[in-house]
Parts: sequence; structure tokens; C-alpha cells
Amino acid sequence: MTLARHAQFEAVVMPHLDAGYNLARWLTRNPSDADDVVQDACVRALKYIGALRDGDARAWFLTIVRHAFYDWCKRNRPAEIVRDDGTALDLAVDPLAVDPEQAAARTSERQVLADAVAALPLPYREVLVLRELEEMSYKEIARVADLPVGTVMSRLARARGLLQRSPLLHAIRGRTSGGDL
Amino acid sequence: MNCNEAAALVARYVDGELDDLQRRAVEQHLRTCANCVAEHQAALALRDRVRADVPYYEAPPALRERVRALAAESAATAPGRAQSWRERWRWLAGGALAGCAATIVAWTVGTAVVAWHTNDDVAAEAVAMHVRATLNNHLIQVASSDQHTVKPWLSARLDYSPPVHDYATEGFPLIGGRLDMLGKQRVATLVYQHRLHTIDVFVQPATGGAPPALRTLRGFNVAHATGAGMDWTAVSDVSPDVLKVFVERIARDDAP
Repeated sequence: MTLARHAQFEAVVMPHLDAGYNLARWLTRNPSDADDVVQDACVRALKYIGALRDGDARAWFLTIVRHAFYDWCKRNRPAEIVRDDGTALDLAVDPLAVDPEQAAARTSERQVLADAVAALPLPYREVLVLRELEEMSYKEIARVADLPVGTVMSRLARARGLLQRSPLLHAIRGRTSGGDL
Repeated sequence: MNCNEAAALVARYVDGELDDLQRRAVEQHLRTCANCVAEHQAALALRDRVRADVPYYEAPPALRERVRALAAESAATAPGRAQSWRERWRWLAGGALAGCAATIVAWTVGTAVVAWHTNDDVAAEAVAMHVRATLNNHLIQVASSDQHTVKPWLSARLDYSPPVHDYATEGFPLIGGRLDMLGKQRVATLVYQHRLHTIDVFVQPATGGAPPALRTLRGFNVAHATGAGMDWTAVSDVSPDVLKVFVERIARDDAP
């Protein structure tokens, strides 16, 4: 039974380890924390893999990674978890976003967009990463992030709006092309 | 379609989330409306920039190796180590199960990705119930260490009244109860704690069958006893001998 579980883990989880790490990396914004989160997620996945019969293994594993992250976050950065889904989030400003000129001066345009994504409040960042980097459907995101599809759409819209208006992007655009997105 | 309607759909259009009818309507509107075209262009441009500029981080090889070692270790667990593995898991998990629960509920229900064996075997079903309740953080519907709270709660919802005692003095405090479906019957489940382990005890009127006294399924132990007119099926990850003694103890149905 355990041998079968090992084989199942190799077949089911390992192909999605990159996806899991990428999500953990964007959620924690830190490589070594992402390592910890992914390892914890794998321990959980090993435990419950017997219950996974078929279906979308990537979404299953990413769900576990996300939970492992939130548990890690509760222990290590409780302030980052904002439970309110409403306007309180609009007010959330990440310290990474407060000094756009300096940031723009020292980083390339490419880096600036990555920084802007990293600066998104957590609830927006996770749906954006699942959508644009993992290219998941709204339904899959809803499953992974445990949200109604409508909330996925509104958070995604908000995330994109924040990116388009990001002071980081505007600072860099002012210096380069000056054009709109 | 007017601009307001179209604006609401442009993001979903870019994400490929519209059905044929909606998609054609949006495309038609985009042929005639410069504002919405600009909106559409901006959405496409942002998507392309994000995909081009925002890095996708691949798992470092060292992590990959550690994870493989972890899986190999779990495959190699001898019975003696199984305990330590479980202990470590529990330590790691801590409140994690609780955190995991909500999504996994939605997951289980919504997608049936987690499919249990369809098995008439009560022991297998009992294990499935136990695991599901643990996963869903749904162990307890009526939380109480007071048998006089748990018993009436269960009786009110069943056509029988299961004996309920708290065995805290013997190291098995009652922590609550819930209802489950077992073998297509509604049954009372009593939840006990033993050290860090949770023990589910499914109680139903005795059927006269003689299920095996002790089994191990998917790493969980299932112990069975009959007494006080009831069948008692205990499921837990406590050691088999402890579970067997406990289920026989509660089947005697005398207050501690």
C-alpha cells in the first residue's frame, strides 16, 4: 500500500511540483519560505493521496499548497491575511509599492511588473498568479482558492486594475514610452 | 449589446470564459465600438506583459530531491516507524487540517475528485467516514464532554438512543458527537480523544452479524464489538490493541 502510494505520488504530484513551487513562491515572495511551504504540502499530499482517484491532480495539489501556505502565513506573517473580501482590501497598500521612483530607477521594466505583482495584496495576487501564470479557468481557480466564481472574477478584475494603475508601472512608463497599456 | 454589457464581458472574453453566443456578441460589438476596442486592447496588452515579464518559478532541484526523499521515506515506513511518521504528521498538521477543511469540502462535493471506494463493507465505510470527517473538520456536530448533552442531541435525530459515556477518567475523554450515514443507515458517531488521537465510534443497533474484531484499512485501525444491544465500530489511528480494548470497554456500557 505504501509502495503504491509512493508510485502514485511520483505520478500525480511530481509533475505539478513546479506549479506548486511557483504558487508558493508568489504567495510567500521568498524562495526559502516557498521551499518550506511546498515541503509541508507534499507531506499532506502523501497523507491524502490514497483518497485521490482521478480528476485534476494539479488543482488538487495547488489546493494543498495554498492551504499549507495559509497555515504557514498564520504562524509567520499573520498580518498578511486579510479576511475581508470587501473594500478594506482596496485600502491595503503594500510597502513594496510605496517608493515607485526609487524602484523604477534601480530595476528594469521587466522587473517592475514582477514587483507590481508581488506588491498586490494576497487575495488578488493568488487569483492573478493562478490565472496568468498557471492559466487556470475561473472554475479551477474557484476550486483551488475556495471562492465562488463571481469572487474570482471580481478579484481578478481588481488585480488587473491595480496592476494597470500601479505607481511602479507608471513611473517606469513615464521614463520610457509614455504610452498606455 | 451596449457598451455597459460589453465592458462587463471583455475580461471574460480575453480569458476565454465566454460561451459561443456571448463571444459572438462581444466580437460584433468590438467591430463597432472604439471605446470597447481600447478596453480590449488594454486587457490583451496587460495579459501579454504579465505572461512575458512575470517569472514562473520552477522548483529548485534540491527541493525536488528532498520531496522525493520524503516520498521514499514514507514508502519505507516499517510498522515501528509508522507511528513516528504519524506523530510527525500530526505535529506538522496541527491546526492545518482545520485550515484545509473548507476547501476540501467544496472539493469533495463539487468535483468528486476525491472518490471513496464504493464498498458495502462497513469497516471500509467507517474508515471513509472517519477520514472525511477529519478532512472536512467536521468531526463534531455537537461538541461537549457532557454525555447528557451529546446523548439527547443524538436521540433527537435518530430512531434509537445510543448509550453515551465520558471515559475521561480512563484516558478517553468524550469530545462530542455527530451523525453519519453508514451502510445506508443513519448512525450516531461518538468522538473520543486519546492523547493526540481522535477516535470515532459508530454506534448502531446490533444486527447480529459478526464483523471481524479488528482490521487495518488505509493505515487506520477498525475495531468492532457488540454490547448493550448495539454494534460499536471504532476507527482511529491509535494502536490496534488500545482501540480493541477501548471498543470492548464502551460496549460493556457501564459508566466509568
